[in-house]
Amino acid sequence: MRHYEVVFMVHPDQSEQVPGMIERYSAVITKDGGTVHRLEDWGRRQLAYHINKIHKAHYVMMNVEATNDAMEELTTTFRYNDAVIRNLVIRRDEAVLEESLLMKAEREDKERKARYQERNDNDARKADAPDSSSDEAAEPAADSEVASEE
Amino acid sequence: MSRFFRRRKFCRFTAEGVTEIDYKDLDTLKQYVSETGKIVPSRITGTKAKYQRQLATAVKRARYLALLPYTDAHH
Repeated sequence: MRHYEVVFMVHPDQSEQVPGMIERYSAVITKDGGTVHRLEDWGRRQLAYHINKIHKAHYVMMNVEATNDAMEELTTTFRYNDAVIRNLVIRRDEAVLEESLLMKAEREDKERKARYQERNDNDARKADAPDSSSDEAAEPAADSEVASEE
Repeated sequence: MSRFFRRRKFCRFTAEGVTEIDYKDLDTLKQYVSETGKIVPSRITGTKAKYQRQLATAVKRARYLALLPYTDAHH
């Protein structure tokens, strides 16, 4: 048994089928005695370039430990499934368990956006109720800090 | 000889002791790809040969999965 990393891209119109596909592919791997170590659904992502006039695709990544037969079965199902636009299978030396850098970057981006939104909301609330002098005193200082950073 | 002081190049991956360059690490890969989408040569970036090879495969994998463009001419 070997460790593999599998990424496959699904046609965005067939996005609803993805949970079913993941289940089926996991079954292929586990029935041969393999295990799925990491499963990530990257969701629908913008493509860096168009593939068959498609601009978006649903990405799924799996880190698995599987037999050669199971992997062969998996790649042939990819080939005959029209919903799968592309797939990449690479060998790995060991099981990878932590969150992938791509997902991490995306999550951090989302968190940053949420924080930014929160700050904006707070500022708006302050502007609505300018009764507390301490807030007003703090605001210009914060602004000058931002300006100096730039 | 140029009269200007040139900043010393250094290999970021050696400095950080990276074990493997991941094709999913787009933020890092984007730093080693030119505006036109080409892989920047190690003679420009100062990346060590070992990491330049890893970098090249990582970029190529990312390109195949449409995470990075092959060129800027994709319409």
